[in-house]
Amino acid sequence: MKRLSISLALLLASAIFAAAGAAREKKSGDDRGVMSAIAQAPLATRDWQNPYEGKPDAIAAGKKLYRQHCAECHANDARGRGRAVNLRSPGIQNATPGELVWFLRNGNLWRGMPSWSGLPIERRWQIVTYLKSLR
Amino acid sequence: MAVRNSFALALLAFACAAFAPPAAAQDTPYFVTYSHHLEEPGTLEIELSSNYATQHAGNDFIAPWIELEYGAKGWWTTELYLDSQHTFNDGALFTGWRWENRFRPLMKEHWINPVLYVEYEDINGADKTMIEVVGFDGQADHAARNAVARREHQHEIETKLILSSDFKGWNISENFIAEKNLGHAPWEFGYAAAASRLLRLAATPTPCNFCRENFVAGIEMYGGLGTTDSAMLSGTSHYIAPILAWHMPSGVTLRASPGWGLTDTSHRFLLRWGLTYEISGFGRKVRSWFR
Repeated sequence: MKRLSISLALLLASAIFAAAGAAREKKSGDDRGVMSAIAQAPLATRDWQNPYEGKPDAIAAGKKLYRQHCAECHANDARGRGRAVNLRSPGIQNATPGELVWFLRNGNLWRGMPSWSGLPIERRWQIVTYLKSLR
Repeated sequence: MAVRNSFALALLAFACAAFAPPAAAQDTPYFVTYSHHLEEPGTLEIELSSNYATQHAGNDFIAPWIELEYGAKGWWTTELYLDSQHTFNDGALFTGWRWENRFRPLMKEHWINPVLYVEYEDINGADKTMIEVVGFDGQADHAARNAVARREHQHEIETKLILSSDFKGWNISENFIAEKNLGHAPWEFGYAAAASRLLRLAATPTPCNFCRENFVAGIEMYGGLGTTDSAMLSGTSHYIAPILAWHMPSGVTLRASPGWGLTDTSHRFLLRWGLTYEISGFGRKVRSWFR
């Protein structure tokens, strides 16, 4: 029982520590940080062709994936929430599909955007197809 | 009693999770091997897993553990384990806790992505979760009765170099393990390697539960590599284990993995299973309490 109490205390301490650390992070909410990260995409990504461009099934699949993986931070309407950027903003909408797919793979770990490299590229294209449909 | 407490904690955690928005992560399905995919920042993952093993000279056992995994940063995941076990015809007990941290030193994706892993363990000799196999770990270590085994205290530091790659829907991961009992023992070494793939890469347009896109199949292999005093394979244990994971849209993931021992010192058969639930936005809720 004593060990369990120690464990729970440790868990609480680490959760508070992590949450407090996150609270100190700079609050941005705008897309400047994202745009500077996207700007690091190799030039070749601008020429990548979206294999699902404009396909209704891909938009629907992308919407489903967006709800599963992205909506918690970027909100169901993709207008952003807290530090998570508005995905309908001109900065995001003007990025090429290839740049966005590259960015989804790499994320922006330092600023809290996870890498989604664990999603197959097919699913990342589907998410980008959905995001582009919001224009 | 300790096992009962652990299960009560698990029930409480899952009850809390029922009121939280689900998340669907991209976690790999492995039980022993780690990939470079960390927990999404602010997400809490609650997992109840178990390891059943047959025991040649002794009683078979089942060793449940609870994992509480939190994405502290995009490059840092911290995790608490609470271990327990029940040995048939013997008894059940809480066997200790572990606190692990994983760090991604490189902020971009590469062909091979390294992750540094550091863990502190405060467990006793009756721990049978077999979350890693190092040194000359073998089934003989699990033959003693609980009353005897629990007297041995293990304060250990475990480090891992995790290397992991994603390629055409596949994840391939390799772990190199070095573990040191802070009391008296030499460094022990081990490895784990695994590969997995979604059964369908592109998602379908409609929500579905029992469809190929929600299943991941894989295989992992792990074992010991001796110690600094005796770095050899003779007398070490090795296992091979296929894995199947089912990600449900509700945020729950079920995993199962039968495993087979490959050497005389290994357990002949293992069966692992796990139930995972992710609470996204957990960090934001906690932060709101402090505003």
